[in-house]
Amino acid sequence: MGGLRRRDFWVAFFFVLPVVAILLSISIFPMVYSFYLSLCKWDIGMGGQRVFIGAGNYLRLFSDARFFNSLKNTGRVLLFGVGTQFLLGLALALLLNRSFRGRSLVVTLFLLPMMISPVVVGCIWKIIYHYQYGPLNYLLNRLGFRSVNWLGSGNVSPYSIVLADIWEWTPFMVITLLAGLQAIPDDLYEAARVDGASRWQVFTGVVFPLLRPVVIIAILIRVMDAFKIFDLVVLLTMGGPGQASESVAFYNYLTGFKYFSMGYASAMSYFQLAVIVAIANVFLRSWRGREVA
Amino acid sequence: MKRKDGVTVAIFVGIFVLLAVALAPFVWNVMTSFKDKGEYFTYPPVFIPSSFDLEHYVQGLRLGGAKGIKDSFIIASLTTLLAIAFGSLAAYALSRFRIGGENFAFWILSVRMMPPIASVLPLFLFFRFLRWLDTYQALILTYALVNLPFAVWMMKGFFDELPVELEEAALIDGCGRLGAFSRVALPLVAPGLVATALFCFMFSWNEFLFALILGRSKVIPITVNIAGLIGGHEILWAEISAVSIVASIPIIVMAILLQRYLVRGLTLGAVKG
Amino acid sequence: MRKFLLSLCILFVLSGVVYGAPVKLVVVGDAGHNLKPFEWYAQAIKEKFDVELEVIGVPFGELYEKEKVELIAGTGAFDIMIVFPKFLAEFAANGWLYPLDEFAAELDPKLDDVTPGYRDFYCKYGGKLYALPYDGDVLNLYYRKDLLENEEERKAFKEKYGYDLKVPETWEEYLDVAAFFTRKAGEKLAGEVLQRDFYGTAYYGQKDQIFAWWGNIFASLGGVYFDEETMEPAINSEAGVKALEIMKEIHKYCPPDVLAYGYEELKDVFLEGDCFMVIQWPCVGKKGADPAQSKIVGKIGVSHVPGVKKDGEIYYRAMMPCGRVLAVAAQSKDPKRAYQVIHYLSVVTSLDDVSTPETGLDPYRYSHFAHPEAYEMFANVEDAKIYLAGVQKNMEKGYPEMVLPGTVEYEETLGVAITKALSGEMDPKSALDEAAQAWREILERFGKEQQKALYQELVKGWRAAGLW
Repeated sequence: MGGLRRRDFWVAFFFVLPVVAILLSISIFPMVYSFYLSLCKWDIGMGGQRVFIGAGNYLRLFSDARFFNSLKNTGRVLLFGVGTQFLLGLALALLLNRSFRGRSLVVTLFLLPMMISPVVVGCIWKIIYHYQYGPLNYLLNRLGFRSVNWLGSGNVSPYSIVLADIWEWTPFMVITLLAGLQAIPDDLYEAARVDGASRWQVFTGVVFPLLRPVVIIAILIRVMDAFKIFDLVVLLTMGGPGQASESVAFYNYLTGFKYFSMGYASAMSYFQLAVIVAIANVFLRSWRGREVA
Repeated sequence: MKRKDGVTVAIFVGIFVLLAVALAPFVWNVMTSFKDKGEYFTYPPVFIPSSFDLEHYVQGLRLGGAKGIKDSFIIASLTTLLAIAFGSLAAYALSRFRIGGENFAFWILSVRMMPPIASVLPLFLFFRFLRWLDTYQALILTYALVNLPFAVWMMKGFFDELPVELEEAALIDGCGRLGAFSRVALPLVAPGLVATALFCFMFSWNEFLFALILGRSKVIPITVNIAGLIGGHEILWAEISAVSIVASIPIIVMAILLQRYLVRGLTLGAVKG
Repeated sequence: MRKFLLSLCILFVLSGVVYGAPVKLVVVGDAGHNLKPFEWYAQAIKEKFDVELEVIGVPFGELYEKEKVELIAGTGAFDIMIVFPKFLAEFAANGWLYPLDEFAAELDPKLDDVTPGYRDFYCKYGGKLYALPYDGDVLNLYYRKDLLENEEERKAFKEKYGYDLKVPETWEEYLDVAAFFTRKAGEKLAGEVLQRDFYGTAYYGQKDQIFAWWGNIFASLGGVYFDEETMEPAINSEAGVKALEIMKEIHKYCPPDVLAYGYEELKDVFLEGDCFMVIQWPCVGKKGADPAQSKIVGKIGVSHVPGVKKDGEIYYRAMMPCGRVLAVAAQSKDPKRAYQVIHYLSVVTSLDDVSTPETGLDPYRYSHFAHPEAYEMFANVEDAKIYLAGVQKNMEKGYPEMVLPGTVEYEETLGVAITKALSGEMDPKSALDEAAQAWREILERFGKEQQKALYQELVKGWRAAGLW
């Protein structure tokens, strides 16, 4: 891009100033403080003496099998949950990106799952998944299938959480991608059509490259939020049976706000931060790379 | 021609099926809001409740639901305004001038990546120092930490999509940068702006942990209120559903009001030229 | 002492400056019906003690962390706190609660009337009184009276097991009865063909409280949490492993999703009439009498949890998970008046509060058990008597949760180990060994010597009550 012109620089500077000011003023203290905590042993159960122990908490993480188990479960949500949400969301966005009567209504209806607060989503699905009294197993039985032990089996419960998450968050993908599609100027389609490109060619050659920035950010945001998956876990399974469906955010909450091992919990958070930053970087880079190519 | 009709039908059937799946749990929630004790967990499951009176709605709103909705509305709308106003400015600067480079943009996003567990206690101490515990501004600013990076990056994505030529034409026509931004770029990304605003509102509307710790008695957002209906030995399922439905009305209304922008026709008049 | 003088000064200043204006005290507790008494008596409290109450309800699941964050930061936001007993030691040891002995000497909280579990385990810490009881939770055995008395079933049982069908008093009998009543859909139960599966029993399977269902067995086998001399975890002792093996047996007669069961599911499977017996909190008996929530009204029997036979007598211990006590914050604006308020609720109005269907509070005083006619939710006094007699039996032999700083973590890791054994992931012995190892680590982190001192202090109190 080269150097900015002087005037442009000042324009840009004042454009970003408010954001930087707010973010810095609110986040800097928590960031520094919690990073300091992550280097301390601080079990507030008793008295609350803070002892500086350097990297001790981070070392403890690596010997904590429960932590890695929870990371695995969060990974499952990222892979299957966000993956499905993206594919389903993209398909729906493409389907909805055409005029038909009642489209606005349909789009609004698709938004509904996301408008219910996550606590309630957990409550709804807890009833739906109930082994004996839930409507889902009832319908399965009616259709001739056997009841599924949605929440009481360690092999199934992590996927039950993923399924509820897909239900809740696919609308996010739909709306974001639809907005992206809508912003693509019409003449580009027409030009491609005139050149005799097929539907698929228009999609891969014109639409998707233009949509790429929105795709990247939509997936990134979902990845970030899926890393925080917590309400559904608490309400549906409490991380159970045993630790089978504990997400990393759930385990982090336990260590921080039930066990009150603040130092360890902070270290866990920073470890997660590092993982997300790494994922985001790899992600952004690989997409950029393709963009150039 | 015939094949095309078949495809169209298939598409509509597909949309319809997915819509039914997406709506089923929501409808279940609506039904639950009318159920009485003894109708929640039973065999066969009760799909249609025995009566449709508004008892649980009244009860739910009386148990703090009304105040929760008010508090959440104040917090969510102000933080959304903040995020949209400042976020789109910054996004434009990032998109067009690449100010600060990629690292700067990434820093903004990384603020949002911080797991909340680590920042809850420090923020509690921070706002205590400011004497802002149990106030709206504490939550508005806290949510800005989540919403500003979101708005910046979403809007940056939408601005990146726009061909630069459109604004260059405006610049040549004598508009300043601010003019090019507000008169050309912003209207063009309106669908994105609306979607972003809606999401910012929803994130703030649905947040729980910060609301729990930073609020106390003057500020009790709706999520905390709803969680309060999940008692140790009594879960008020119907009230939970009822309050959640009432609480989703503002968002639904907003979505309906804004849907014109959300999905306007494929022809963007302004683009041509 | 300094704190006391300071608060006296504050009191003096306050009463001097704003003489006549009522003191505003902030109450915090888990949101919902258990806070109702504070509203009901607000007017009376204002007139009697010149106190205006502000009640803050925090979601049940998050009450602990909300209270604790405010206490750590020393915001002084609360005066009267509803505390779950398992947190009492931690709050008291940190100096966050106001010791009540002086006040109690002036205004008698009638502790002799309180069942020993609540009096000695859940209100005192280090020999001092820190709280007054508010809600008496204990686990009870609920069973289907009607099925137990069914002639056909009695005959079949006798044929199969060689003794008369009766309320199970030992774990062996519990297993027999559970196995006997577990039926598949299509089989007969009390002469009727079952439309769906019927289960012998069920338990609380979520890891946050499952320790208590294991604990009933463990405690009756003579298990203790730690060796008090060495502070070695004793959960993986012979008693612990045996208890878990019994639980694995019980697991066979439970619904397939029992490991996802929390309070609600466990209550519903019983009140829907799909399960012969459950061990549950006192409120289930009250809800079972309400036709709107229960399909088995009038068919519920209540008894003590099973135990083991020792010298011809049944030795049983009922866990007392959860429960609520009222404490006064050390930073309270007016601890004395706060005490007057909690005294009022724990002594004066408590019978009304535990006997009304409006709250979820359960009896904890002998005087509560002596007034079956007060419990309006039962159709007749007889049912109320059966209920109260059953609950009282358990209350008198209540076995405490371990009340130490770190209790949540101890109980959670134990719960995880128990579920691992029940889901077949590990065998009971190695699961409990794993939990014991986790306990050792927790112990180290919290400071072994300190924990030992606290634990010995607790055990002394528990022994004095004759339940250890």
